[in-house]
Amino acid sequence: MKRPPIIPLILPFLFLTSPSSAAKPSPLPPLTGFTAADMPGDAGGAALLRWDSPGEAAEGATIEVYASDTAKPGWVKIAEFPASAHPEKDMDLPFWAWRPAPGRHALAADTSSAFGRPDEAQEIEFKLRLVKGAASVETGPARAVIGGNWFNVSRFNNLVLMLTIIIVFFWTVSHAKRKGLFIRRIAGLDAIDEAIGRATEMGRPIFYSTGIGPMSLVPTIASTSILGEVARKVAQYDTSLKVPHFDPIVMTVCKEVVKQSYLEMERPDSYRDDINFFVSQDQFSFAASVDAMIHREKPAACFFIGHFMAESLLLAEVGATTGAIQIAGTEQESQLPFFFTSCDYTLIGEELYAAGAYLSKDPMLMSTLKVQDFGKAFVMLAVVTGSVLLAAGAVFGWEPLMKIVGQLFKAY
Amino acid sequence: MEFLGNTWNAFAAIFTVTPGWMTFGGWVAAGLTICLFSFLYKDNPFFKVAEHLYLGAGMGWLFQVYLFQTWKPKVFLPLMEGQYSVLIPALLGLSLVTQFFPRISWVSRYGFTFIMGYGSGLVIPLTISTDFLKQIGGTIAPFMVSEINSGNIISLLNGTFVAFGFICVLFYFFFSVEHKGAVKKASNIGIYFLMLYFGAAFGNTVMGRFSLLYGRFDDLYKYSAPEYFYATHVVLGLLVAYFILDKLVLSRRGGGQEAH
Repeated sequence: MKRPPIIPLILPFLFLTSPSSAAKPSPLPPLTGFTAADMPGDAGGAALLRWDSPGEAAEGATIEVYASDTAKPGWVKIAEFPASAHPEKDMDLPFWAWRPAPGRHALAADTSSAFGRPDEAQEIEFKLRLVKGAASVETGPARAVIGGNWFNVSRFNNLVLMLTIIIVFFWTVSHAKRKGLFIRRIAGLDAIDEAIGRATEMGRPIFYSTGIGPMSLVPTIASTSILGEVARKVAQYDTSLKVPHFDPIVMTVCKEVVKQSYLEMERPDSYRDDINFFVSQDQFSFAASVDAMIHREKPAACFFIGHFMAESLLLAEVGATTGAIQIAGTEQESQLPFFFTSCDYTLIGEELYAAGAYLSKDPMLMSTLKVQDFGKAFVMLAVVTGSVLLAAGAVFGWEPLMKIVGQLFKAY
Repeated sequence: MEFLGNTWNAFAAIFTVTPGWMTFGGWVAAGLTICLFSFLYKDNPFFKVAEHLYLGAGMGWLFQVYLFQTWKPKVFLPLMEGQYSVLIPALLGLSLVTQFFPRISWVSRYGFTFIMGYGSGLVIPLTISTDFLKQIGGTIAPFMVSEINSGNIISLLNGTFVAFGFICVLFYFFFSVEHKGAVKKASNIGIYFLMLYFGAAFGNTVMGRFSLLYGRFDDLYKYSAPEYFYATHVVLGLLVAYFILDKLVLSRRGGGQEAH
């Protein structure tokens, strides 16, 4: 009997059982529902990538994110994380700007480190690769045109708060004009008259420094307002005023302020252009120079009001050694202790902002104080309410309430 | 052209860092440091020299920084590339210079108006974000726990204490309410919290300043080495000699006046 050929019989079997990857299905599930879009409400340089959860089958796997600029094709890996990471509910966006879908994952993919952040919009392709050991599956590419956005919806709480403040401001302005407002005593500001009077009696100059802040800083703006009031009194008593400057723009604004004060007091003849003078825009050479001036001219009064940094003690210490009466004020809490130790009166943060209103008694400025107080009352109420609600949420397990409270008072 | 190039190369070669220049640098650094420190004793001509040199060098340095880090990359190069939109901010900036010419100084107001408006627009939303939302969010953050248990009770008590202190401090800064009764009590407690913070900040900053002082002392020690020809010792000795001489001359003058 002729034996049947064995090889033709075995071959198909071998072929079917070969470990070829083409024939064997991948152990990883495919990544589905992958989309790419511009990241909403950002300054550009990021895309919002979303995909379906790969489920438990992808446990222990990682996801690699690749991006390619369509203008200069070439895939670059921009992120890598465990497959279970970045569920949509964990996205750092508030509830009014983000609706997480169950079973979906999302990532705010930063492209600026790979492709920069040009002014114009960029078209970028993305793909995801799910990797576990030697096995991997890839999504098809998804394109997104990414760029900066005009509005950041996440900051809607900021806008609401600002609009509320504006409304309260206008209400208090009208209230202040009709009924007037009370302001508590601020010792440091009451001492201004005493300081100027002392300088007049002694026939010595008054030094006034607005600090090293630019004109865009609130303490500098507050300081120019106080300078205006000081200049009015100086003009009235015909005392000598010297205002050394760090910033040329602040100097020019202060020139206008002082000139205006002299005009209002009908003393334009006493005004000199060199009351305000520029020293240096280098922090410590400014301090060294002003120190030397204070030491040589021995002023009767020194005002250090505005934004001060490390030069605060250098200035105030020299002023103290000359025996000048010193009034200081800054919003920099790290510098306030130095002013406390070396000055006669110190305006702490908010007191500095209140000074303009306190000195001028102008209804418009007085109402800003009232608005500030409303702001503080709001913050106090929010802290008490927020703490109680969060504690209640923790006790009773109300997670959505805790999330809402946390997001309402978060600065995005 | 070749002559100019050679001249420039010869000029630049003078300033090539050599051991001689390093020693000279050591003398300058030690000398200026000691001259500036001499102000701690009293005002003197050496301090005045160091002060004016520091002022001039600082301004010179800043001028080149503005020239090469602002003007060149943000005005000159974009203009060379045909981006004429940079002319708008450049002209607004230049308008400030008209302050020097009284007849047209009004033009500078456009620049200042823009700066003030831009500054306020930038600061107001930022202030709301930092002074309100971040402050509230930070104060209530310790209460954001999944459950209250023995593990986090200390943290919650700490959060309550901080929130209490924060509210009391805010009471101190109420201006439109008279500080009497409960408000005064809360405000007084607020002052204690403020002082605690200022004390901690003072200690922290003083430590930072001491580290700066150690840096200068370390440099002075370095320049007192033989390879710098004892720069620190020599400068210090000369300055002490000057002060002794000055004292002697002054006392003689003072004695002379008394004799009259």
